[in-house]
Amino acid sequence: MSIEETIREYILENFLFTDDQSLLSSEDSFMEKGIIDSTGILEVIFFLEEKFNVKVDDDEMIPENLDSVKNLVAFVGSKA
Amino acid sequence: MSETIIHCLKESVSRYPDSEAVVYKDQRITYKQLWSMVCSVVNYLHGQGMKKGDRVGLLIENSPEYIAVYYGALSAGGVVVGLNTTAKASDLINWLEHCDARFLFSSINHPEFNEITKNCTYQLNVIGIGEYLNDQKSTCDLWSEIVDKSLLELDMTMLADMMSPATIIYTSGTTGSPKGVTLSHRNLISNTRSIIEYLGLSSKDSIVSVLPFYYSYGNSVMHTHLAVGGRLVLENSFVYPHKVLEKIVQERVTGFSGVPSLYSLLLSRTKLKEYDFSKVRYMTQAGGAMAPASIIRLLEEIPTVNFYVMYGQTEGTARLSYLPPKNLIEKMGSIGKAIPGVTLEIHDENNNICPPGVTGEICANGDNIMIGYWNSPDETRKVIVDSWLKTGDLAHYDEDGFLYIDGRSSDMIKTGANRISPKEIEEVIAHLVEVEEVAVVGVPDEILGQVIKAVIVPTSKNALEKKTVQAHCRKNLSLYKIPKIIEFTNELPKTSSGKVKRYLLQNNN
Repeated sequence: MSIEETIREYILENFLFTDDQSLLSSEDSFMEKGIIDSTGILEVIFFLEEKFNVKVDDDEMIPENLDSVKNLVAFVGSKA
Repeated sequence: MSETIIHCLKESVSRYPDSEAVVYKDQRITYKQLWSMVCSVVNYLHGQGMKKGDRVGLLIENSPEYIAVYYGALSAGGVVVGLNTTAKASDLINWLEHCDARFLFSSINHPEFNEITKNCTYQLNVIGIGEYLNDQKSTCDLWSEIVDKSLLELDMTMLADMMSPATIIYTSGTTGSPKGVTLSHRNLISNTRSIIEYLGLSSKDSIVSVLPFYYSYGNSVMHTHLAVGGRLVLENSFVYPHKVLEKIVQERVTGFSGVPSLYSLLLSRTKLKEYDFSKVRYMTQAGGAMAPASIIRLLEEIPTVNFYVMYGQTEGTARLSYLPPKNLIEKMGSIGKAIPGVTLEIHDENNNICPPGVTGEICANGDNIMIGYWNSPDETRKVIVDSWLKTGDLAHYDEDGFLYIDGRSSDMIKTGANRISPKEIEEVIAHLVEVEEVAVVGVPDEILGQVIKAVIVPTSKNALEKKTVQAHCRKNLSLYKIPKIIEFTNELPKTSSGKVKRYLLQNNN
């Protein structure tokens, strides 16, 4: 499974509670679409750290890195 | 006419007209500018035939507009109903109908906006705030058409008297009768004055405000800082905590208010020592117990700050007690003593006062105690007895008169800054045909204080998946009300009278 597929599946499964891929576009802002709240973002960070073995530094906790599937994929890619 | 929070704001406007009152995104609004917005709201509402006591709903995030509508509606004689912006349309409509709101000031881009205007069962005058993200044509009055920057004279002839309702804060309720805590002008001003006194607030103070104004804690932050001519720096998201810290430093604010989960986030996800907190004079914490270990860590990271542990309830306007920073270490774990103007007693089951060391229910008396629950005299009688508010919180005094919370006598769940009735989640889950019975409880969580757990008896084995339950909740409840933990069982533990033994469900295994 690619990084994007893994992240997408995680978001669908844990925040939208569905496997319907059509409900989440890669560019959807988690905040604006009301998909994830502040504690949800923490869960996403724990998931990234565990699944992809990356360390998310405090100053990396910004929407540009975390606020959509596309941003998460790019962020994890940049850590590789 | 005695002084109200409107008079306090007016005083701040006349003393500090050109000082910043609100900083919001790239806007810096002075007291004079804020006042013209307030006057515009009054002017508009009077023009619409507003009558004394009409309820005015408010559905926008913390913003200059929120403040202007709040103070404007009060000045025009109205009762403000600040609505939870994360609530679903069904809740919002239920609340609006319950208090028979005549006006609704709402962000036109609120996700439930169209649903509310379409499904509200009576004539609700809607005023849209903001700009449409698409080319949609407006079907309601717009904020941009209401505001007249030249208006500076406030017509306060309609202002209600001190004992009349000023605001309603809905604390729960999807179905049945929602609980609308109704606060008078006297409630608001007395609590505002008390908080100003013990925090020592002045026009030199400013605060980064992340707490929503529609909750009593955020509401008190708004009133206290505007009453002294201070400055509110609005940040509506705590999703990215270090951005909030940067704002504290950039804006050189003197204060910060948070709930335990916010402080947990700061401690776990930021390097507090790397920020310059030299201007920050006070930090306050309420909205549930914060672990002593976290308080000690915070003091180690920011040793210069005065940290105020506070306790309160919406039914007490916001605040009931505080622990002075000078007593923080010595009385760690205490919620302190009653704030100025409030009397707190510990009562046993027979309403006798408990001696030090003996646990009973915290009962509160003072000018800040609510009028009652809106249109719910029976519910009101359960919690206000002989002018004493029965808080439902169990506590004891020590020999020095400091209070310590020992537990709660009610089933309410406290997660993050939110107080949730398990019943409203149970009612939503029970709508699933595969559910025979359900009980919802709060279980301990390091960051949030509690998280929600639902224990379900399905109609048959394998009838239901966890995901189905959560997806159903997502459709019908705010995000923070979706149970994190779902368990299935054959039967719920019950007393001989059939009441669910919730305490047996409260382990998170």
